[in-house]
Amino acid sequence: MASPDTWTPRFRLRLDDQDLAAVRRWAAGAYPNEACGLLIGAAGAEGLRVVEVREARNVEPDRTTDRYTLDPGAVHAADRDARSSGLDILGFWHSHPDSPAIPSQTDRTRAWGGYAYVIVSVRTGRVGEIRAWTLEDGAFQEGRIVS
Amino acid sequence: MTATANESAPANESAPTNGSPPTVVGAGVRVRVRIPTPLRRFTGGASEVEVEAGTAREALHALARAHEGVGESIFTPEGGRRRFVNLFHGERSLRTDADLDTVVSEGDVISILPAVAGGLTAKDRRLAELRSEIPEVSPLEARALQESGALIIDVREPDETSAGFPAGARRVVRGFLELQIEEHAPDLDTPLVLMCAGGVRSLLAADDLRRLGYRDVRSLAGGFSRWKHDGLAIEVAESLSQIERERYGRHLSIPEVGEVGQLALRSSQVLLVGAGGLGSPAALYLAAAGVGTVALIDDDVVDRSNLQRQILHTDDRVGAPKVDSARETLLALNPDIDVRTFHERLTSDNAERLLAGYDVVVDGSDNFATRYLVNDVCVRFGIPNVHGSIYRFEGQVSVFWPGREVSPGPCYRCLYPEPPPPELAPSCAEAGVLGVLPGVIGTLEAIETVKLLLGIGEPLVGRLLHYDALTAAFTSFRVDRDPTCGWCGDRVETAPALIDYEAFCAAPTP
Repeated sequence: MASPDTWTPRFRLRLDDQDLAAVRRWAAGAYPNEACGLLIGAAGAEGLRVVEVREARNVEPDRTTDRYTLDPGAVHAADRDARSSGLDILGFWHSHPDSPAIPSQTDRTRAWGGYAYVIVSVRTGRVGEIRAWTLEDGAFQEGRIVS
Repeated sequence: MTATANESAPANESAPTNGSPPTVVGAGVRVRVRIPTPLRRFTGGASEVEVEAGTAREALHALARAHEGVGESIFTPEGGRRRFVNLFHGERSLRTDADLDTVVSEGDVISILPAVAGGLTAKDRRLAELRSEIPEVSPLEARALQESGALIIDVREPDETSAGFPAGARRVVRGFLELQIEEHAPDLDTPLVLMCAGGVRSLLAADDLRRLGYRDVRSLAGGFSRWKHDGLAIEVAESLSQIERERYGRHLSIPEVGEVGQLALRSSQVLLVGAGGLGSPAALYLAAAGVGTVALIDDDVVDRSNLQRQILHTDDRVGAPKVDSARETLLALNPDIDVRTFHERLTSDNAERLLAGYDVVVDGSDNFATRYLVNDVCVRFGIPNVHGSIYRFEGQVSVFWPGREVSPGPCYRCLYPEPPPPELAPSCAEAGVLGVLPGVIGTLEAIETVKLLLGIGEPLVGRLLHYDALTAAFTSFRVDRDPTCGWCGDRVETAPALIDYEAFCAAPTP
């Protein structure tokens, strides 16, 4: 956690209020399980602009309260749909039930550099902070969500 | 955007290349491979690459050949598929290795996609909580804090810090952190930056210190690897080898000794005057304790009558110089130390040369001439003189150290300005001695020596410990400095020149 006065975000992620609200709703609805989904949009000079958010099935076989595995078919479908509109998968979102919106060790080992990872903290069913991260040289760096 | 496999720049068309036919590599049919955004840095930005292949596997290998970096992202060095990659042939997921041998048709699409997963183990959850509570700092911030008075506490294990640690950092292994931190930071308001190898253990350690009451505790994000990566100053300290760690394990468990103390012992040099009754147990224990240099001076040879108490020596070495016998015994006990031997008598001519530079001198001599000589040279050099003497069933130990910076004690001459007449000062040979007694007194001398070398406890400076074996009683006497002492007194600028000690002790006092 860097102190606010020295912190500069590594990237900007534009996510409009409607999409943010959808992510909150899905995250709260899945509690106490982890919810997850995709961010579709385009990269530009202003940063990453999300055009569409999607919820995806958490196909994690056993530990749905502390693990998520995004349905591979949903990723494939999203990739196909995005490409047909000239867009791309920009990243993914998932919830952290009863934990802060900070990437875990497991998140880090499974993340791909180049995608945005949005994490939603949900405590006792109520959505808390939402933060965006990206992996650089094996470490997560925080970006700024703008709406 | 689509690029052909042999083009370095992305093509501008959004559909498969048409117009002039692109040159393609490999044999088979043309298939398109869809590239996820993170891998486009390897394909010159192209979101799709056309390759010629007969199977999905061939298509991926053709892609990897054409665009360096892609292969490593999809395949392990052994050639297997990476865990967090999903592959699709059209709508069909290629789940197994055998699936990769699927035959492809002209115009087919192969998609490379991330297998998206994550989650929280109990440990992750805890670390995430801690990250939200404990400030993390970068190496540069940590150094700035250090410059303004914060302590960097390196909690890594000794085998990790042996390769280096941040300059000026304190090394306290995590297992002893709560027990030892107050030695480094007695004030709970001292700002502390905890550091480990990668920034995880330091978070847990920071939490421990927070619970202990430290109010400003931070963790160095990225740990020592980031510190080093950022090119900040490191320090490489001496450390113990694995064998030394095993040998001195019971010392390392004592906070008052620990690795720092053991290293201090290793770099210490102790000279023992006499390899006899007192020198035997003293030398054995000092060697065992890991005192790096144990020097012995003795001009005598082993006599069978010595073996009743002089445990450095053995029956088969009767007739051999005592210092040679001592060297053999000590190196058998601890081959890592340096044993220096001087097969000569300590005299006014050689004493200064022989004693100079030692941290402690252990006097195990059996005659007054040598005791005065050892005293006088030690006073001159400011060396603590660990003194022991025995008579039949009684012994005494003291540390003569008028050169001590804080609370200096007396020298031998403060107590005994004049030697006793020879007839009142019999040697062991004349008076006899209980064989076990020097074991007690010589061992006490070794203990005092180790305390002095480690700088722990209260040495026998200004006190004389007397032991009576028959009554099994220890008595401690206070012995004061004599400010008028001719050797160490207040008015003495430089200690007098050495004298003829044989003559001094032989002549009855007037």
